[in-house]
Amino acid sequence: MSTYNTQTQTSAGGNPGVSVDRSVEYRCGDCDAEVSLKRGEPIRCRSCGHRVLYKQRTNR
Amino acid sequence: MPPKRKVDSETNPTPQAALNPTAKAAAKPAPRAGRSKTANAPEATTPSAPTGDAMEINGEAQNDAATAQENQQDASAQNGTLPPTIPRKRKIAPPPAGQKSDFSSLLEPFYYGKHLTDPIDTARDKWNLLPAFLKVKGLVKQHIDSFNHFVDIELSKIVEANKEVRSDVDPKFYLKYVGIRVLRPNRLDEEANKGGKSSVTPNECRLRDMTYAAPIVVDIEYKRGNARVMRRDVKIGRMPIMLKSSKCVLAGRSDKEMAVLSECPIDPGGYFIVRGTEKVILVQEQLSKNRVIVESAKGIMQASVTSSTHERKSKTYVIQKKGYMSLRHNILSEEIPIVFVLKAMGVQSDQEIMFLIAGEDAVYQDLFQVNFEACAREGVFTQQQALEYIGYRIRGLKRPLPGQKRNYCLEAMECLSNVVVTHIPIEGMNFRPKALYIAFMARRVLMALHDPSLVDDRDYVGNKRLELAGQMLALLFEDHFKRFNHDFKMSIDKVLKKQNRAQEFDAYNHFSMHGNHITMGLERALATGNWNLKRFKMERAGVTHLLSRLSYISALGMMTRISSQFEKTRKVSGPRALQPSQFGMLCTSDTPEGEACGLVKNLALMTHITTEDEEDPIRKVVYLLGAEDVCTYAGQEMHQDGGFLVFLNGTPIAVTTLPKQFLNGFRKLRRMGRISEFASITINHHYNAVHIATDEGRICRPLIIVENGREKVTARHLKSLRKGTMEFDDFLTRGLVEYVDVNEENDSNIATYESEINQHTTHLEIEPFTILGAVAGLIPYPHHNQSPRNTYQCAMGKQAIGAIAYNQFTRIDTLLYLMVYPQQPMVKTRTIELIKYDKLPAGQNAVVAVMSYSGYDIEDALVLNKASVDRGFGRCQVFKKISTQLKPYANGAMDKIGGLRIDPNDPTKTLDPSHSKIGGDGLAEVGVLLEKDDAYMLKSVPTNLSSVGGSGPVQYRDTPGKYKLPDPAYVDKIIVTENEASITTIKIQTRQTRRPELGDKFSSRHGQKGVVGLISPQVDMPFNDQGITPDIIMNPHGFPSRMTVGKMLELLSGKAGVLDGSLQYGTAFGGSKVEDMTDLLLKHGFSYSGKDYLTSGITGEALQFYVFFGPIYYQKLKHMVQDKMHSRARGPRAILTRQPTEGRSRDGGLRLGEMERDCLIAYGASQLLLERLMISSDAHEVDVCEKCGQMGYRGWCGICKGAGKVNKLTMPYAAKLLVQELGSMNVKVVIGLGDEFPMENE
Repeated sequence: MSTYNTQTQTSAGGNPGVSVDRSVEYRCGDCDAEVSLKRGEPIRCRSCGHRVLYKQRTNR
Repeated sequence: MPPKRKVDSETNPTPQAALNPTAKAAAKPAPRAGRSKTANAPEATTPSAPTGDAMEINGEAQNDAATAQENQQDASAQNGTLPPTIPRKRKIAPPPAGQKSDFSSLLEPFYYGKHLTDPIDTARDKWNLLPAFLKVKGLVKQHIDSFNHFVDIELSKIVEANKEVRSDVDPKFYLKYVGIRVLRPNRLDEEANKGGKSSVTPNECRLRDMTYAAPIVVDIEYKRGNARVMRRDVKIGRMPIMLKSSKCVLAGRSDKEMAVLSECPIDPGGYFIVRGTEKVILVQEQLSKNRVIVESAKGIMQASVTSSTHERKSKTYVIQKKGYMSLRHNILSEEIPIVFVLKAMGVQSDQEIMFLIAGEDAVYQDLFQVNFEACAREGVFTQQQALEYIGYRIRGLKRPLPGQKRNYCLEAMECLSNVVVTHIPIEGMNFRPKALYIAFMARRVLMALHDPSLVDDRDYVGNKRLELAGQMLALLFEDHFKRFNHDFKMSIDKVLKKQNRAQEFDAYNHFSMHGNHITMGLERALATGNWNLKRFKMERAGVTHLLSRLSYISALGMMTRISSQFEKTRKVSGPRALQPSQFGMLCTSDTPEGEACGLVKNLALMTHITTEDEEDPIRKVVYLLGAEDVCTYAGQEMHQDGGFLVFLNGTPIAVTTLPKQFLNGFRKLRRMGRISEFASITINHHYNAVHIATDEGRICRPLIIVENGREKVTARHLKSLRKGTMEFDDFLTRGLVEYVDVNEENDSNIATYESEINQHTTHLEIEPFTILGAVAGLIPYPHHNQSPRNTYQCAMGKQAIGAIAYNQFTRIDTLLYLMVYPQQPMVKTRTIELIKYDKLPAGQNAVVAVMSYSGYDIEDALVLNKASVDRGFGRCQVFKKISTQLKPYANGAMDKIGGLRIDPNDPTKTLDPSHSKIGGDGLAEVGVLLEKDDAYMLKSVPTNLSSVGGSGPVQYRDTPGKYKLPDPAYVDKIIVTENEASITTIKIQTRQTRRPELGDKFSSRHGQKGVVGLISPQVDMPFNDQGITPDIIMNPHGFPSRMTVGKMLELLSGKAGVLDGSLQYGTAFGGSKVEDMTDLLLKHGFSYSGKDYLTSGITGEALQFYVFFGPIYYQKLKHMVQDKMHSRARGPRAILTRQPTEGRSRDGGLRLGEMERDCLIAYGASQLLLERLMISSDAHEVDVCEKCGQMGYRGWCGICKGAGKVNKLTMPYAAKLLVQELGSMNVKVVIGLGDEFPMENE
């Protein structure tokens, strides 16, 4: 029955490891321009003001 | 998708500019006002063909030029408003009318299989009217028309009815609404700049979870101090806009422009986008308002009428009980004798009453005679006395002030004029029309008493009205608008009460205060489907539905669906049965099975639902045609032989003695276009009445007019229709075709085919296959099938996987099924072409061998060819959406994503291995394969969510989103966006490609479904002399009991088509003839029967029989094994009962239910029972005290305070729970213990 509760751990404990927070490239849904966003930035195309951004395909 | 669009926008401008002035001949100027009299007048007067046509062309050319100019202005206007720094190439492209000409006109339905020069045969080619009709009306256009009518006309009427707001405090203050408009749709943050054009598109609203809405603005005039102030364009709310309605940005766009707006040109529109979801207001079926319906039940005969006006809704009955007739209404505490009601309305003499109701007919007079007894009994003889009598029985009025006596007389007057049959207005205290109306109701009761066949049929389609989106929204808007005015009045009263104000009072500040109520009210109603109107005591749930996008057909089928207001539990068959009067109006095949069978209906292909037309012009016409005002008539004249009452929307207005002439005159005027084409007129010979209807919600359909035994539509007309010089509306204005509603249809003689026309014929059917709807129209040769099979296919066609829309890859739906290689069917129907199913198909043409093979094909199972499956047969893609919002909380904290941690020892790895698919922003990388328990999003939620903000840094709790399904999927697309409230929304779309597997469900178009029983290697499949192996082997036992001859014909025609290289037709009541098909088969060296000689792939020997072999269109249905397969050995349990959970999504157990249990009991397998029901489920060890029978704990009985007699035993946890729950209710349960093997001599 205990499997029903999802285990959650807090990040406050601070496991070791490098947190990555680099900017990520998106593409505007209207004008197709590249937009790079950092965390917390408003979601908006810089050239046309459109607010729908698509994450770009990985090259992994 | 973005890259493609870019190419579009760059190539657009130049060729179009060049095209515009030249491409004219075939151009279709969309906004051409078809019925404008000025344009058509010359044609009407000069019927000679060449001149008329020439003028037409000229007119079009001018029109074209005008539109082109307009468009250029449009384009420049758009450019002007945009800041120059933002380059928007696609806006520069002039959206020209010429665009339609070059390519899409080639695909116009007219040209299917026909060339301009082909000879025209009226009998065969009159169906060309159908595509012309569907351009202007039909399918979903009724939704759009209804919404347009609401926005353009009804809205102003509502405001007009509530146009003044006055204050209770300051009698000098007033606010008046001068006008109301709905502007073009825009975004919420664009409200500030008025006049600026918005670039919002429906698809943006879908992606960003916004509401596709437009501001509603009013012009107001009000008092500020002593000055009169006018203000224009004051916003009072936002109106959700129906797609493709006149206010929508998609209205009148060409295919190319639609592509630029990333919208599908084939999409029917007619729905709303509310908070990112597509919502449809289903058509609602109701009994007509403002019409008298006579019913009988248990010896009671009653005539009832539901009056409905903007102010009030009420139901009035004239009821015959125990030989007496009386009037019943909710406001009256008891039934009032009908004679008193008439006396109160000023019909004082008994003789006049008698004549008004019974006329000179002795039978009716005898029946009615007894009612006058009440006068003597109650002593009511005069109007005054009658009013007193009624006034005394009025219920629930406000109590009169103490010391004041109630004035019964006045109250009765008030009640009779405003409450009873409200839809008959009382002008200048003239009660005569209302008295006549009630007398007429009484007469209907008398007639039905005398002849029970005159009782009305509630299920008759002519007695029903369909309520559309516009009407539903009108009700809603009116309610909210009234509340808005009320709130506004309250808030100004509050200020006006204060005598000394610091500044001059400006009501405008208060006006904009309640801005959100209307917006939120409309949005909430559409989003939830709950229509709660206090004023009408209306509480309807489930008015709106989510538009099903399973396939194109399911979306279209939803738009034509009609839901009934009857409750489903009633056991009466009447409302569910097929009604003869629904011929041509409602589809005869398309209804669900089971609970809602017959209650949910669908519109036929060529129907239109009327909007309201004005009554006044019609009333004038009635008098002009020689009918005399009914108020000038006395009873005996009115009801004498040969006198016909003329009813306008159920209200008697005039009397005529020449009904046939009157009717013909009226029809002539309508055919000339002098009165609305939707006004209908019928003669009812039972009641000696002429009924004229102009109200909204009637179902009607066009028919070709036949006069003097000849149809009016000739080859010449069809020629110009094909040439494009005539449109459907021209046929209407020229009186060649007219709309006929159900009542009029049943008063006409309609010939189905030209050859059936005789001297009595009044109309000719345009095309017989239009008795079916859009969904049933997909079936080839439906007229050869057993009818339930067609009904089954209607249900299954909506589950077929195929193409959904041209913009299917730019949408992100919660669940989206797409077929990888959809094909249009080899055997089409006209309907398929008309609804463009051939462009968004859902299925593939499979070569089918009807034979027995391998034994894995019994019970409708299918054998698939493995090579076909490898090559893509039945392959489909499944897209799923995962959506999250980063919510802000009251204390200022917010959800966040990100925080991916890299292993410090190996920078190519993540610290948590399940995070390996995540990118730098905390979202999975696009294109990566997600497997079970992979995280796709790293989201953290603040630990403190309370409104009181804690000091210090915000603590977060990780709540990673993990992929839970057992089958992996690719991340197809991720969008990051902000919704209207500036909340970040992330949508992740995953993709799976599935090939058919054992157990997947397939179906042909004839209600013949089956699951895959075997996927056989190609080498083992039988082959014909050309080496062709079938894609599917179907067991022949599917045919005899189902009697789907249509499927056999489909195979035959399909085979002939394949050999011939042509597409064949299986249109209902027509289609390719079997004879022609057999000829084609013979021509190509095949057996005329469609049977082939096959060789066994297993033995290499010739099969000892010929096999029916050819292509049949097969649909893959959405039920797939992968979504259902489930098993479990051990797994999660429910907390309360400790039994295994239920359902696949919770990894639940497989239930051994009551019936299975019964079998085991009957068989006596007690140990198996014990294992299934306890040991494998919720076995639990308890300590039970032998002495008191209660449960103890660790060998100690808490009640007996001892450990001596406590025993351990195993029982189901649920049983232990039951004992304790009963204990909590003060019910003591004692468990008796005994020895399993008791000793003999003890």
